Amino acid sequence: MSDVANQKITLVSNDNVTITVDRLVAERSMLIKNMLEDLGDTALETEVPIPNVNESVLKKVIEWCEHHKADPPTSQDDDSDSRKKTTDIEEWDQKFMQVDQEMLFEIILASNYLDIKPLLDVGCKTVANMIKGKSPEEIRKTFNITNDFTPEEEEQIRRENEWAEDR
Amino acid sequence: MSVATQTTTAPRMPPVPNREDLDATWKYLETGVSRIMVNLQEGIDMTTYMGVYTAVHNFCTSQKAVSSNNQGVIGGAHRGAHLLGEDLYQNLISYLNNYLKDLVVESKKHSDEALLAFYIREWDRYTTAAKYVNHLFRYLNRHWVKREMEEGKKNIYDVYTLHLVQWRITLFSEVHEKVMGAVLKMVEKQRHGETIEHNQIKSIVDSFVSLGLDEADPTKSTLDVYRFNFERPFLEATKAFYQAESTQFVAENSIVEYMKKAEARLEEEEQRVTMYLHPDIILPLRKACNVALIADHSTLLRDEFQVLLDNDRVEDMHRMYLLLARIADGLDPLRTKFEAHVRKAGLASVSKVAADADKLEPKVYVDALLEVHAQYQSLVKKAFRDEPEFTRSLDNACKEFVNRNEICKDSTSRSPELLAKYSDSLLKKSAGGAEESDVENTLTQLMIVFKYIEDKDVFQKFYGKFLARRLVNTNSSSDDAETSMISKLKEACGFEYTNKLQRMFQDIQISKDLNTGYKEFEAKLADGEYKGIDATYSILGTGMWPLAPPNTDFTPPPEITKAYERFQNFYSKKHNGRKLTWLWQLCKGEVKANYCKNSKVPYTFQVSTYQMAVLLLFNEKDSNSYDDIAKATQLTSDVLDSTMGIFLKAKVLTMSPAEGKPAPGKTFNLNYDFKSKKIRVNLNIGVKSEQKQESDETHKTIEEDRKLLMQSAIVRIMKARKKMKHTNLVSECISQIRSRFIPKIPDIKKCIDILLEKEYLERLDDDELGYLA
Repeated sequence: MSDVANQKITLVSNDNVTITVDRLVAERSMLIKNMLEDLGDTALETEVPIPNVNESVLKKVIEWCEHHKADPPTSQDDDSDSRKKTTDIEEWDQKFMQVDQEMLFEIILASNYLDIKPLLDVGCKTVANMIKGKSPEEIRKTFNITNDFTPEEEEQIRRENEWAEDR
Repeated sequence: MSVATQTTTAPRMPPVPNREDLDATWKYLETGVSRIMVNLQEGIDMTTYMGVYTAVHNFCTSQKAVSSNNQGVIGGAHRGAHLLGEDLYQNLISYLNNYLKDLVVESKKHSDEALLAFYIREWDRYTTAAKYVNHLFRYLNRHWVKREMEEGKKNIYDVYTLHLVQWRITLFSEVHEKVMGAVLKMVEKQRHGETIEHNQIKSIVDSFVSLGLDEADPTKSTLDVYRFNFERPFLEATKAFYQAESTQFVAENSIVEYMKKAEARLEEEEQRVTMYLHPDIILPLRKACNVALIADHSTLLRDEFQVLLDNDRVEDMHRMYLLLARIADGLDPLRTKFEAHVRKAGLASVSKVAADADKLEPKVYVDALLEVHAQYQSLVKKAFRDEPEFTRSLDNACKEFVNRNEICKDSTSRSPELLAKYSDSLLKKSAGGAEESDVENTLTQLMIVFKYIEDKDVFQKFYGKFLARRLVNTNSSSDDAETSMISKLKEACGFEYTNKLQRMFQDIQISKDLNTGYKEFEAKLADGEYKGIDATYSILGTGMWPLAPPNTDFTPPPEITKAYERFQNFYSKKHNGRKLTWLWQLCKGEVKANYCKNSKVPYTFQVSTYQMAVLLLFNEKDSNSYDDIAKATQLTSDVLDSTMGIFLKAKVLTMSPAEGKPAPGKTFNLNYDFKSKKIRVNLNIGVKSEQKQESDETHKTIEEDRKLLMQSAIVRIMKARKKMKHTNLVSECISQIRSRFIPKIPDIKKCIDILLEKEYLERLDDDELGYLA
């Protein structure tokens, strides 16, 4: 099994579905990449339990990884300004993220767990874009949040954050 | 727990914990970490791996982790986006602490090489495990640790670094001295020639280096730990070892042997670095060795240098040079000694040939100088790597003994004079007829001595005189050699220095063409009418040639007068307005003696024009009185006396009465019985005293020229500066003239006084001088 490009790995979701993917696709996850490094190639013959992710989410994540398997690897802690500042999302990813809210949050959680930084970024940017330009009331409505502030508390917070408001 | 029991079997993993239960989570994690630490060689299964990772993740992402310790390691209030993880971090620290404390206990059972083996084994195991744990705790690194570090908390490290820090705090601090002791013991063994397993030391070095963390910036590493705990004791031990060894060795062996030993030891240490030490040590290690092996014994070494010089031990001197070059200011004393030695050798070589200073052959003298130079130049090359500093010492020494030695104790101008004479003997046509390439080589050699001559103006004077003589007498050996020598001098001293020499040379070339033209002119004109004498003429530019007009009146014989008047006509047609002065004292010719009874072939006499004038008188009658001759030739008595003296000595003429010197009242007769082995007889020979006188005169003119040179330098400087302090002017003047000769300060002062008198300069206030245009 010397040819890395043809190697496969089997993942098992927490609802016990086995999914086989290319090694290169799976290695978009730093967790799996490090694990393969530590345990060696014998791990390819073992099923890998993914205890925190269910089948539908895992498949979605793998879909993203498939599409992005040829991306240049981002450096370990790429905190460059460009990544932080922009909320631009490439077209394919935008379409990819057109899912219901629950799935969106599941993807974010899974990418955080599996340590797939670019996917986590896309997820968080999508949420950020949903918040952008909305009033607190609209945001509450969007994410179905109950307002547990007293009016006084709310007023104080507004004053404290006045500097940040768009004018 | 003890390491011994842990190594038997891997503990079973407890069940996967509830994400919010710290105790259960930690219990689960501890078992996992323990397996990795202790039983990694048995491998770790997928479930455990993923389980531990997931447990860390779950704990850190749980909404409310409840610590069993109610005082709360985390601290009470969870505000906002507080990240969980401190509990795990602290628990990991205490786990590592315990683990390492056990290792410390275990290490006490070992010493020396066994201790090294133990340390290396445990270090490898620990660092390998640390890499795994670091991956498994990656979630903690990514969030909690990252946040803490961003907030500037001290002493928080990523999990891998944490392992190293704990190793250093708990284990390293306890064992490093013992470990280092074992290392030093091994190294000493190796220095005594035993074979050791040096990979062990290399591993220790690597471990010490890895433990260096920059406290200010945890992402960077430093060599501090290594430097303090490895390098420092290593250097101390090295120094002590070599101090002891070298002291003993020097006491029992010769210095030459010691140098070989030191050289070998230094080489050995260099190899030691590439073999198993950190490359960073190379400079301090060299320094330590240099101190112990060289600097501490430098006085001994330097004392030996004189012995090596005296015995010409090139190889040993080279060795000493290499050793002393390694320490600061190590070579200066050698250079001083070398310089003094070369000077002494030069003086000795000169005094060997100086026994009969008056009859000294220029060649012998110059060869003596060159021999010393060549010997020590080759020494500089072979032993001192042609180092510029040593070359300078050689130059200084040569300059000293070339200009100040037994031969020139009266005057430094003896050296340039002899050198010029030697050049003349090389360039003059001689019976030997040296190969052209030999001449060229010797001239190059000659330039070496020239370089060291201080009174270059003296050489210029004499060289000019000799060149003039060679050209006038047409006995220069080759034009090529002459040109080559002039261009060498030009290269060394500049255009101005050789300007006159070059012009003299050109005059002769031009004269050759002129003579050809004259021959054609004469052939058309004469055509059997008058058979003139076959003559060549040289036109020499006044001022360029170091020649003076004749010091006597002279009436040339009519035969010659006709010839030269015709030439004068020819020349003045060609160059209107030029005045020709005839230098009779330099002219010469040949006459055939048809009267001799003893030879069938007539003798040919080579004579000066003066002699010719005298001899031609004997065409008329066989006997002439002194006064007749004086009247006919108009020569002054001293010139006439020496001219007649040569005839008498060669027995061409006889004198009556025969006693005494030529003087008024004596009568001279043609000697019909003249006999000679040669058909051509050279009567045109100078008298010894004349040559000596000539040389003295040249020296006198040099003094005059120097005064002019100094004055013109002073005027040049003052013209540029307008005002100048007296002392500054003197030193400026010296620096301008130095390339020609070294002026004496009183002489310069005298010249300044002369210029003040002539009102080129004026005295101003405050010891200043001003230029008067």
